[in-house]
Amino acid sequence: MSDVKLPGAFRKALDRVALWSRINSPWLVHFNSGSCNGCDIEILATLAPRWDLERFGVKLWGSPRHADVLICTGPVTRLARERLVRVYEQMPAPKFVVAVGSCGITGGVFHGCYNIVGDIGEVIPVDVYVPGCPPRPEAIIDGVVQLLTKLKPPKAKRVARAARGGGTNATSGGGGTNATSGGGGTNATFGGGGTNATSGGGGAA
Amino acid sequence: MSAPMFSRIQETLGPLAACRISTDTRMDIETSPERLLPAVTAFRALNWGFLSAITGLDTLGAAASQPGAVAPPAAGATPGASPAPSDGHVDVLYHFCQGPSIATFRVRVPREHPSVPSIGAVVPSAVLFERELSEMLGVEVAGLPKGKRQFLSDDWPQGVHPLRKDFSIEAATPVADSAPAVGSDEAPGTFIVPIGPQHPALKEPGHFEFAVDGEIVTGASVRLGYVHRGIEKGAEDRSWVQALYLVERICGICSHIHATAYTLGVEALAGMVVPPRAQAIRTIVCELERIHSHLLWLGVAAHEAGFDTLFMYSWRDRETVMDLLEQLTGNRVNYSVNLLGGVKYDIDAAAADSIRRGLDFLEGRSKHYLKIVTTDESFLRRTRNVGTISREKSERLGTVGPTARASGVTIDLRAAAPYAAYGEFPITPVVDKRCDQEARFVVRVKELFECFRLIRQILDRMPPGDLSLPAPRKVAEGEVISRVEAPRGELFYYLRSTGGVKPDRVKVRTPSLCNWAAVVNVVVGQKLADVPVILAGIDPCFSCNDRSLTLRRRGRAGSESVEAWSWEDLRAHGLRYYGGGRT
Repeated sequence: MSDVKLPGAFRKALDRVALWSRINSPWLVHFNSGSCNGCDIEILATLAPRWDLERFGVKLWGSPRHADVLICTGPVTRLARERLVRVYEQMPAPKFVVAVGSCGITGGVFHGCYNIVGDIGEVIPVDVYVPGCPPRPEAIIDGVVQLLTKLKPPKAKRVARAARGGGTNATSGGGGTNATSGGGGTNATFGGGGTNATSGGGGAA
Repeated sequence: MSAPMFSRIQETLGPLAACRISTDTRMDIETSPERLLPAVTAFRALNWGFLSAITGLDTLGAAASQPGAVAPPAAGATPGASPAPSDGHVDVLYHFCQGPSIATFRVRVPREHPSVPSIGAVVPSAVLFERELSEMLGVEVAGLPKGKRQFLSDDWPQGVHPLRKDFSIEAATPVADSAPAVGSDEAPGTFIVPIGPQHPALKEPGHFEFAVDGEIVTGASVRLGYVHRGIEKGAEDRSWVQALYLVERICGICSHIHATAYTLGVEALAGMVVPPRAQAIRTIVCELERIHSHLLWLGVAAHEAGFDTLFMYSWRDRETVMDLLEQLTGNRVNYSVNLLGGVKYDIDAAAADSIRRGLDFLEGRSKHYLKIVTTDESFLRRTRNVGTISREKSERLGTVGPTARASGVTIDLRAAAPYAAYGEFPITPVVDKRCDQEARFVVRVKELFECFRLIRQILDRMPPGDLSLPAPRKVAEGEVISRVEAPRGELFYYLRSTGGVKPDRVKVRTPSLCNWAAVVNVVVGQKLADVPVILAGIDPCFSCNDRSLTLRRRGRAGSESVEAWSWEDLRAHGLRYYGGGRT
């Protein structure tokens, strides 16, 4: 999208819609770079009915080319390293990385094994670390939420303020979105954040 | 019970090898590289057992052991004699197992230029283990087909073998283009569909290449090793207790069974008699883990067949058993129940009640699932007569666990060689003779009922007593083989101690490794669209499989060798291929 030349105001509006949709419906791609499976089954459990991450608009998707967030598990093995970088590079920008599990933070129990390159942060930039061996599904949800709140607040505020210069009342309604950004990472706040953002987006449109 | 059989082996192999019966379940057959192949051929003619694992040992720097030092026997593990003293050999051990009995061929080769013949011609399943041996210990296996690296990365320097005792991590600095050159054995013009290592079908990385002719798979190869972490070497650098937590993280799905195999082995080496209550609790957690693993598999396999509703239902119900595990141990995955010498957690009356309630719920659901997998018309079209592995093929390729039992092979270590509390609380193996994908569903779901029954029985007759014994820091010298029935099949541990605070060798052979040969064999001739279902059928576990392999199997040779087809050519071929249908 960034290749196309667009008038400034239209461009900004589009960016805001993109950010709004990204925050409200992030698509995840999962890659296991050497994990024991424990984190992977917990990520799947997060998507299964008990926690049902999809109710927040989150979707686990097979192709990195359609994904916003890369969920990584495990230490990075020598063979998986190149693939991890490749998967990361295939994702369209802006892209974010959530490293799930202790191994992704330090190499965990496998630290020092000969086939381990290191933790995920040594190979690709990581935005959120979720500790635990494995982390509980609530913790994984919290990690994703923390990432989304990180995307949202001050930056969006500045964008909104800048847009307000040539904007209408409807646009400032979009600014109202930011009021919820201070919320913590609990499920309820996430749902609430989603709702408010929707109304803001509606105003922008 | 196997003594008469051992004597028969002894008579048959007499001229070729020196046989020694060390305990009533262990037999050592010492032979030389030259005589190995004739000896194994004669041995196979007896039709006894299957090749369970090949272990390579580097004996450099090992303390001289007293010949005949035998660790005391204990339930579930089969101790044998210590290896003879040496300074600098590589021992190659071929373990053949039948029920509780193990016959081990031992071949000793020098550390410089070690070489053994391939027994792949006699035992097809040996090829995978031999690849592992050549890569990890640098033993040349004469006659092994050339192939890509199995689990070491392509930038791994040549001539460096991680399981050698003098290996240092500095020697393994990445080198460009060090992978052995392998010419493609596919005919030119063959169309290859690569899948993985990042792919939506399975949550773990594995790379597959399927050669296809139209929709029909004509060849398959798999390159694993993306999850190879070097755990066997890692365990040698840790103390006996630390290694327990490492092996528990070989696999997050069957963590408890890995820890159980390891602790049973170490306890047998150390001569500890674990309190019966601890063994009973171990067994309960083993079975709870089997329930969680089978429900997980049921969902994933249904997902592969396009039946996401079943995936969602079975994963919802799986949370019941996850809650029970969490209530017992405090963690949902990697429960860390085992200690060397016992268990950490008790099951009191309240916990027993909640387990019973959970099982009642799951039993009702499992009945429903059994009905679905045997009656749902659209689902049966994806499973019935798909991926059939005949009983003969299953035995020849050395499959284990539910994959083998769904082919009519009665192989279940819980019944054949009871460990932990399976002696007092016996199980009945679930076997199905239909051999196809449907049978694999039926066997696993029926096994759930056996799990429920067994857990209730143990809860009703829970032995009183202590939970654990103090474990020694140093473990007596010797070697031990510990085999247990993991959710996916027989799990094999070989442990060797030189009397120190650390293990000298921990060899793990996981069930998935045994089943790969069968799956790569069986997809040839099937439709590409059925491949995910067949792959899921063996419940492959890549992280278990951390020792991994490259398999290439050729079916029909690529008949067409046209290099580039225009759309018209392609369309004409399609019409021809599907028998001149319209469109």
